[in-house]
Amino acid sequence: MIAHSLKGPGRTGKPSAALRKYGTAGLVSLQSRMAYPAAFAGSLLTYGLFVFVFSRIWAALYSGRAEIAGYDRTMMVWYFIVAEIPAFGFGRFYYSLAEDMKSGQVAYLLTRPYGFTAYHFSQALGPALADCLVLALEGILLGLLLGGPFPLTTLTQGAALVLSLLLAGCLQFFLQFAIAMTAFWIEENAAFFWIYQKLALIAGTFLPLEFLPGAASAAARWTPFPYLSWAPARIAVAWDSREALLLLAAQAAWTAAAALLCRAVFAAGRGKITANGG
Amino acid sequence: MNRPRTGRPAAYLRFLAAAFTANLQAVVEYRISFLIQVFGMMLNNAAFAAFWAVLIARTGSVGGYGFTDVMVIWALTSTSFGIAHVLWGNVRSLGSIIQRGELDVYLLQPKDPFVNVLASRTIVSAWGDLAYGYLVLAFLPGTGPERLALFTLLALGGAVIFAAVFSAAESLTFFLGNAGPLSQAVTEFLISFSLYPETIFDSGMRWIFYTILPSGFIAFVPLAVYRSLDWPLVPVLLGVAAVYAGGAYGLFRAGLRRYESGNQMGTRL
Amino acid sequence: MPVITVENLSKTFRTRVRSEGLGASLRALIRPEWRTVQAVREVSFSVEEGEVVAFLGPNGAGKSTTIKMLTGILTPDSGGARVLGLEPSRDRTRLAMGIGAVFGQKSQLWFHLPPSDSFRLLGAIYEIPAPELARRRAELVERFGIGPYMDVPVRKLSLGERIRCEIAASLLHAPRVLFLDEPTIGLDVVVKREIRALLADLRAREGVTIFLTSHDIGDIEKICKRAIIIHHGAVVVDESMKTLKHRALARKYIGVKYAAPADLELPGLAPVKRTEDAASFVVDTRKHNLQEVIRALVDRGEVLDLTVEDEPLEDIIAEVFRGRSEEEARGAARAGGEAES
Repeated sequence: MIAHSLKGPGRTGKPSAALRKYGTAGLVSLQSRMAYPAAFAGSLLTYGLFVFVFSRIWAALYSGRAEIAGYDRTMMVWYFIVAEIPAFGFGRFYYSLAEDMKSGQVAYLLTRPYGFTAYHFSQALGPALADCLVLALEGILLGLLLGGPFPLTTLTQGAALVLSLLLAGCLQFFLQFAIAMTAFWIEENAAFFWIYQKLALIAGTFLPLEFLPGAASAAARWTPFPYLSWAPARIAVAWDSREALLLLAAQAAWTAAAALLCRAVFAAGRGKITANGG
Repeated sequence: MNRPRTGRPAAYLRFLAAAFTANLQAVVEYRISFLIQVFGMMLNNAAFAAFWAVLIARTGSVGGYGFTDVMVIWALTSTSFGIAHVLWGNVRSLGSIIQRGELDVYLLQPKDPFVNVLASRTIVSAWGDLAYGYLVLAFLPGTGPERLALFTLLALGGAVIFAAVFSAAESLTFFLGNAGPLSQAVTEFLISFSLYPETIFDSGMRWIFYTILPSGFIAFVPLAVYRSLDWPLVPVLLGVAAVYAGGAYGLFRAGLRRYESGNQMGTRL
Repeated sequence: MPVITVENLSKTFRTRVRSEGLGASLRALIRPEWRTVQAVREVSFSVEEGEVVAFLGPNGAGKSTTIKMLTGILTPDSGGARVLGLEPSRDRTRLAMGIGAVFGQKSQLWFHLPPSDSFRLLGAIYEIPAPELARRRAELVERFGIGPYMDVPVRKLSLGERIRCEIAASLLHAPRVLFLDEPTIGLDVVVKREIRALLADLRAREGVTIFLTSHDIGDIEKICKRAIIIHHGAVVVDESMKTLKHRALARKYIGVKYAAPADLELPGLAPVKRTEDAASFVVDTRKHNLQEVIRALVDRGEVLDLTVEDEPLEDIIAEVFRGRSEEEARGAARAGGEAES
């Protein structure tokens, strides 16, 4: 371990060792999440209620209409079910990250042989994946009851959807982490997160991007927000292999950009810690 | 002991006024977090307003509700919820107060413990919910002094109903030991149902809105009253609110007889 | 005239038995297991106006349950209590006007507001006319020395500062009986002494009857004239502090330290603890002459330090409990092991 720490955070030796280290960190926090199955109940209830209420809205909306902006009622029910999974499962990283930032955990973690971002990433993603899995099972059940048959039929399509959801989770993490790290400069940064969260809701979570007025929809495509929920939901309900590839590529690109942003913010902020005398 | 004055209405009003003053001071004490929370709440509500604006722009109405209608039920629900938590900030902490035996302090004082415990706290962010309803009205067409007065009365009735349902769910702690999850579910359902058009729900389940989850008396009937300035229905709604309040009070009193003041001795044996 | 009378007061709690594990939780949902705990059994005593009474006992002995029945928080199962001529469970609000209470860590002050605001609120709760409230407030602020804290939010006060405000707040409506449940818990020695002085002063000035539970022997020795000891829900001792302490006076704790190692063999008296140059003894004055013992110790070498102390009250109470348990054990054996609870 000493050898590792001499190399400094984020520059561990072999990739396999790194994988084991962060894998373990993720697994431990996953286990601590599983120890309290009742903790799932709250988000299951809220998610289920949301899906139910919105399925009723769509029913009312589509009475006397077959389609709006290229979506029919069944597509809308499934769209909402898929779009809300990353919003619920990956949407609240900020709170625990911000807590770490404020509680002085940062300085403590810097003494460990961990990559700062990688460590938080594994900590956050482990339990979130468990949440998403449970939500997805509930969502599929509700979708079959309220909407209709599951829209995807082939294994490739299913794999693309899972990949898209995972990318959405990574993108959510890096963007929220960048916001949480603004605590280096501004302590009360919750307002930034709220704005981010609401923009994500409007740009593709509540409604498909296609529903937005033309200009707003076009502008939104140049922001990362549609790639948090719209991309996986679109892949799920309106399969088109060419579009799916483009969406996945865009998600990957935004995720890489967001990861770089995190690095930059951390590098700038870390200097700030030293300047303040730790 | 030479002041046998307890229980007079004037004394109660003086007490409630003092509690309210203390509540206002709490807002001043936490003004920064108050402003931040109000901002966050407004953002949240604005996101939903945008959702409805987009949706209704596409179809003209949803379940017979136009944009204004949806905004009025948002305003009613938000302000009612806000008033309930501003005036009776402990409505959703009652269960844990009972469980931790903290009711003792209120039982030691010469005022009704139900009123006393509920009025002894304010939720700072609830001022934002309260204000939001009026903000919405300010942007809607047709808002005048008469509608504002009517809205305020309707929201007061709604606040009493919110408080009654929440506190009743929390009072179940007397009987169940821990009513937390149940109360949380009731809270979430009541708020959610009060924020969406009644007509999107099947007629088979609408009876719920006039019984255990009274969104009908918080949002749907008040919307109709507000739309058509139907003043004669206002006393009826306030009467319904009083019935809910009476039920919640009765449940609390019944539970109080089982109060064990946090004497959980034996539970871990 | 007694201000508190208690006759055969009993209270039983029925609690759910919870076991660990999901399976057990599910079983409990269908067929809950209950067990009853008799918290207070057949307790009787009375307290005269102006008395200061200590109510002692180990954890779970029924102290708090008794005090809660006396203040109307809990309803007794059987037996009766009267405080200021009222039945607490029936006339709770009327009784509240005449009693004050400070309950452990359950604060009556608003956490986020300065005490001055809580005092105003309590004025409204106890329906104290404004001029009277102002006069009483000024008097208490002066006596309790809480002027500097009156405008600081309670959450920013230290525990000692808070408890002083807490007691002052409970006296706003000039109660005739003051109930204190563990008032000095968690406080440092200096603050404890201050609180005791305030309570003694309160008794002297206003003739307030004080009924106090505590673990802290210091509280009781310093301010109480009478002690009631309760164990397993029943009164085991009810006598004046003087009588209780008299038993203690029979035994003295002696500590001695010499400049150099000394011979510490005394005829018939073995040290309870010793090192080369120091020792401590417990001397039963009914068997040994205290003066002779001390003289003998002084003769053994150059004494650096010598202390003589009464037996701590904790030990006395422990002894009472021990005697009681032995009796109970004998009684139980006679009755063929009649099950408790």
